[in-house]
Amino acid sequence: MLKQVLKTGLAVAALTAAAPAAFSQELVIGLRAGPDSIDPHWSTLGSQAEALRHIYDTLVDVDETLQLKPGLATSWEPIDDTTWEFKLREGVTFHDGSDFTAEDAKASIERIPAVTGPMSMTLYTKYVDSVEIVDDHTIRVKTKGIAPALPNDFTRLFVVPAETGTDVGNEEFNAGEAAIGTGPYRFVSWEPKGDLVLERYEDYWGEQPAWERVVRKEIPDDAARVAALLSGQVDLINYVPATDYLSMQGNPEIETFISDSVYILNIQPSVKDEEPQPITVNGEEVEGNPLQDLRVRKALDLAINRDVLVNVVLEGLGTPANQLMPEGFFGYTDELPQPEYDLEQAKALLEEAGYPDGFEVDFTCTNNRVPGDAVVCEALAQMWSRLGLTVNAQALNGTVFFPAAANEEYTMAMSAWGTLTGEAAYTYGAMVHSKDPEKGFGNFNRTGYSNPEFDEVFVRGTQTLDEEERRGIYEEASRIAMEDRALIPTVILQTVWAADADTLEFTPRIDQETRAYEIAPAEAQ
Amino acid sequence: MLGFIVSRLIQAIVVVFVMSVVVFVGVYAIGNPIDVMIDPGATAEIRENLIRQYGLDQPLWRQYLSFLGNVAEGDLGRSMVYNTSVVGLVFSRLPATLELVLVAVAIATVIGIPAGIYAGYKPDSAGAKAIMALSVLGFSVPTFWIGMLLIMAFAVELGWLPSGGRGEVGTILGIPTSLATANGWSHVILPAINLSLFKMGLLIRLTRAGMVEAMQTDYVKFARAQGLTDRQIVFSHILRNISIPIVTVFGLELGSTLAFAVVTETVFTWPGVGKLIIDSILQLDRPVMVTYLILVVILFVLINFTVDVVYARLDPRVRLGGSR
Repeated sequence: MLKQVLKTGLAVAALTAAAPAAFSQELVIGLRAGPDSIDPHWSTLGSQAEALRHIYDTLVDVDETLQLKPGLATSWEPIDDTTWEFKLREGVTFHDGSDFTAEDAKASIERIPAVTGPMSMTLYTKYVDSVEIVDDHTIRVKTKGIAPALPNDFTRLFVVPAETGTDVGNEEFNAGEAAIGTGPYRFVSWEPKGDLVLERYEDYWGEQPAWERVVRKEIPDDAARVAALLSGQVDLINYVPATDYLSMQGNPEIETFISDSVYILNIQPSVKDEEPQPITVNGEEVEGNPLQDLRVRKALDLAINRDVLVNVVLEGLGTPANQLMPEGFFGYTDELPQPEYDLEQAKALLEEAGYPDGFEVDFTCTNNRVPGDAVVCEALAQMWSRLGLTVNAQALNGTVFFPAAANEEYTMAMSAWGTLTGEAAYTYGAMVHSKDPEKGFGNFNRTGYSNPEFDEVFVRGTQTLDEEERRGIYEEASRIAMEDRALIPTVILQTVWAADADTLEFTPRIDQETRAYEIAPAEAQ
Repeated sequence: MLGFIVSRLIQAIVVVFVMSVVVFVGVYAIGNPIDVMIDPGATAEIRENLIRQYGLDQPLWRQYLSFLGNVAEGDLGRSMVYNTSVVGLVFSRLPATLELVLVAVAIATVIGIPAGIYAGYKPDSAGAKAIMALSVLGFSVPTFWIGMLLIMAFAVELGWLPSGGRGEVGTILGIPTSLATANGWSHVILPAINLSLFKMGLLIRLTRAGMVEAMQTDYVKFARAQGLTDRQIVFSHILRNISIPIVTVFGLELGSTLAFAVVTETVFTWPGVGKLIIDSILQLDRPVMVTYLILVVILFVLINFTVDVVYARLDPRVRLGGSR
């Protein structure tokens, strides 16, 4: 009897779930995070850019592997050392019907410093000195010094109409009155942490998206997001947790999509003369900082079994990393060997460095920033204990970790870093170059690593406008940083999306963005 | 009565002050909110400008004083994350939490108190034992787990109810609420049941204990000897006598449910204040934290005040104003 009831219930559920998909063109997505505001110049938050791309276009766009492609600008080239020229697309209209011109692009660039918040977007305009309008569809950007990465910076440069001005703030954008872009979707409604509802813009300049209406639901809790998919409330979810991914493998009604992410878990060994948290042998602080010795850092690296990290600790959702960015990124070098696990050699190196019995060291990580950060942290501590070290691993909430990391309070730390721009300068300038506030480099260099050779090569790259030449220079920088073990990369994290089987056509993106206009309904079979 | 209100008001103000100091010192001790929020690619110059812009370079006492100055002008500040006024932000989420809590408390009361009366009236019956066993489950099994079970059963397997979110919103007496639509009710029912279980268990046990005790007292025996029916004894004598502890617990629970419904809200993606405050804490969004906690303090004071007034109605011996 009960079985009968259950079956009927299921049938009803199946009917009600299937009906809307068949008749309407609505896509409902369950996402872990959403925007903080509808003002595209407020914050650099990744989930913010991802959501607002539906409403606004950027001057330069990126494809699914983060390589540049035309957006509102159709082409760009440097015309001298400090000037970039952007040709703008013609025949583009804003959602209010007005035409997109060079005036709007200039106003958008200039609007950022006036309205941006704590996650400051001035990051993307820091090289801009002035903007000059050549004609209705050409602008020239004068830069402060040579700025080869300017087109990369402009991949987050959203364009709003020039009339918007700087007095209009988040309230007006969130209410919708100022939410006017040129993107494939119009803004319908949103509130903080709530659903973002979008409607197709019929006069969009690019390819018409498949869905008339898109609802982006914010469901931060992993289990709740999975339940929403299983119960048919949403059509697609992102960031499927590893455990659910395993059970979905056995479920024929669910299809999963996997992609490498830009995020790599990096170990940051402090190489300062005096380590922030003491390293001890038999309870006594050792003289000097053992981590300054390259042999010790190499030993730490060799003792990491990355295959175990990927296959056991991360349930298969990762790729071993041998440098600070995934393959195919601008500056990735294939000259570096694949990481190897060799405990014997590691022990020998440690002994050679004068620590035959190991030492005791603190190791601090985040526990809520990316999937798997805490478990990888624990696993690393165990791997190093095989090397003879005593590792006090501690995984902390990001709220506690980041301020302390910024104060350089950790001897050895691990957190995820994403090469969000798809090119090396972003990562190397922030984390590997010597700390140099005047030049604006090394802001996230918490280890005290400083290698004049690396700095010279890196700076040469930032002064080279020729793309191929610059690529070669950054590849050399990658080699130097890794041979020095300035940081020790462990694994590239992977991300999983899930949808009802055979309903969607979807190519996962390495930047983990879920773009409704790049998703199509599956061909009827 | 007036003296009572004034003393309560003073109490509330003192608590609000102490609490705001605690939050300020707490956030200050954790670290700089800018370091939590800032983009990885930002330069040192950008970071320093931001710290100055938000006044975080000032000594703590000065930050606190300027906060007090703004509050005196009626301005609780703007959220650092959403850049909207915090009062508007909190109040935009409050109706959702309120309606969830009201339904949950109603369920707990309507089921819990009669069940408790029955269990106390016939403590040896099989029904009473079953009720007591279930009440133990009610407050010992973790909320998030029961929530997941409810979702798995009613949303995923049976497909009768949605797995989360707030449904269609209508208006009742000008207040926007999802309780005005059938779709809204289908969304609120699972989280409300989940939220009510703990309170229900508590009310059952409390009512039962009171009942069992009262049944043995002299006045019940006399009432019986007088020839009153059981129904009359239970509803006009016993219930009145045992209601004071029930009202106290009810008040406290109402307050804590309103303030901390966050687990249920997270599991059912209910867009209430709970989720907002957790996110604000994780991002060290100090203005939102302070405003929310002030609101909670005021809420607790209000509820306690109401509870005291209800006492006086229930028990004529209780006098308000400190001269008890």
